[in-house]
Amino acid sequence: MASEKTPTLAPRTSPSAKKSDDSLRFLPWLFLAPSLVIYTIVVVYPMVYSSYLSLFRWDGVAPTKTFVGLDNYGILLTQNDVFWIALKNNAIWLVAALLLPTSIGLGLAILLNSRFRGSHIFRSVFYFPSVLSLAVVGLIWTWIYHPDLGLLNQVLSAMGLKALTRNWLSDPDVALYPVIIAATWNAVGLPMLLYLAGLQTIPEELHEAAMVEGARPSQRFIYITFPLLRETTLVVLAITAINALKAYDIIYAMTNGGPANRTQLLSTWMYFLTYNYNQVGLGTAIAVVLFSLTLIFAIPYIRFMTRKT
Amino acid sequence: MSQQISRNPLRPGKSKTVIFFAALILATLLWLAPVITLILTALKDAGDFAVNGAFSLPKFIRWANFSEAWETGVKNYFWNSVIVTGFKVPIGIVLESMAAFALSHMHFKWADRVFTYILIGLIVPTQMTLVPLTLLMNALNLIDTLTGLTILYIGFGVPFGVLVMRGFFRTLPVAIIEAARIDGCSWFKIFYRIALPLALPAVVSLCILDGVATWNEFILAQIFLRSDELRTLPLGLVQFSTQFSTQYDQLAAAVLISVAPIVLVFLFFQRYFVAGMGGAVK
Repeated sequence: MASEKTPTLAPRTSPSAKKSDDSLRFLPWLFLAPSLVIYTIVVVYPMVYSSYLSLFRWDGVAPTKTFVGLDNYGILLTQNDVFWIALKNNAIWLVAALLLPTSIGLGLAILLNSRFRGSHIFRSVFYFPSVLSLAVVGLIWTWIYHPDLGLLNQVLSAMGLKALTRNWLSDPDVALYPVIIAATWNAVGLPMLLYLAGLQTIPEELHEAAMVEGARPSQRFIYITFPLLRETTLVVLAITAINALKAYDIIYAMTNGGPANRTQLLSTWMYFLTYNYNQVGLGTAIAVVLFSLTLIFAIPYIRFMTRKT
Repeated sequence: MSQQISRNPLRPGKSKTVIFFAALILATLLWLAPVITLILTALKDAGDFAVNGAFSLPKFIRWANFSEAWETGVKNYFWNSVIVTGFKVPIGIVLESMAAFALSHMHFKWADRVFTYILIGLIVPTQMTLVPLTLLMNALNLIDTLTGLTILYIGFGVPFGVLVMRGFFRTLPVAIIEAARIDGCSWFKIFYRIALPLALPAVVSLCILDGVATWNEFILAQIFLRSDELRTLPLGLVQFSTQFSTQYDQLAAAVLISVAPIVLVFLFFQRYFVAGMGGAVK
């Protein structure tokens, strides 16, 4: 910059540096204030207040709340069948999210990492669903699963598998799985992108050396690529898990928790209890459970993000 | 699969190449089947759809689906989304860059702790905030206003924005900032005359990622917007789908209209998606 004006490099104890040290006591807070204030009011304070509300029985309207301690959690665990359905669905969803988008994303990243003609077009194609809103993804896939006119049943019939056709989103035994497939379609892009970035950091020489030593492609994957993608994999798993637990819009757009509450997730059941049944205590208790589940994956992730500082 | 680790899949011989591309193109078609279905449906007459289903070429192209969907309500939803996104993204980025700049270059004792505090926001499920926010917004008379929704979006956007901008600011050479300090440049001036212009690629990335996220947001809009004329697109579309559940042609057209801006942004600014996500992980 304009440093040629000062021929000698000022040491840290120069008057100007001293002055800046003084100003740095409050100035950073001035820069941080707008963000911190709005973030604290909109995110942090409500989070704390929700935890507090989960200790009360309240309909959200009455002027008085009744303190019930941990009773709301007890009610959820012992008397609320849908809570258990939702918890189980969240577990299934989580396992699917940790396996499917991550492995598909890794596979695509490895395929598309090589720069051949048109590779960037394929990357865009497979990333594309990730820019759509989950509400839109839900609507689009609802057509695929339409019992009479949907592509899935049409294809199954055409293949002579008419026995397998069904009303996918109305069948209580299977309805969750079509929704998970639709969510996977949307979720593949991010792992693919992160793995592509991770693959860029692996030096080409390692593969060349291994090839000279006669390593097969599968060996190179197991002993070079995958170990070197360890950090990326940790980030990918944490982010997909956190996102999976946030799933909400796609359920709302595709099944609205039905049939017979069989596709409720903790997130949607929280909404039902709070806003449809006025059970604010139970609703906030579910939110706290959901947040605690998220923390299992989030604490290692946040440690990782702040570790380099 | 791992065969293609080698730099060029065209090398190992012709037949392998053909199989590779055939498989890739097949996978692509399968991957895009939902989108193809959507486009075909939007171009079709309702009767055509009822008889031949979604996955067939239209008998004739019916552009009126788009104008009808637009007039039935999508117009309102669209402009509401434009307003909310148009205010949220620039305001958010200014606030987030200031915070990120303080955290990365104004070495102060609390920087790490403040950054961790902000990161918590990335993992909080929205459900965790809904009830207190409802009470708060009620008290402030902000329920069912686009202003209220925009304020919420700015608050929820802080963690990701600070993460991305901080990731970029940390790559700026400290020497530049120190040189400016020695010349007597104030911190505000360093921020908006030096750091922010240098961070332009990060700002563009964040604009795009944030714009897409805001355009797509659902649950806060669902809780805090009550009247139909204020709905944003994702919310309006789901509403549209329950009201006109059998008019698939119009609904498909409505969905296409709603994703059109996103698709355009994606096509023109793709590399910024990669850059932005990269900044978030570094």
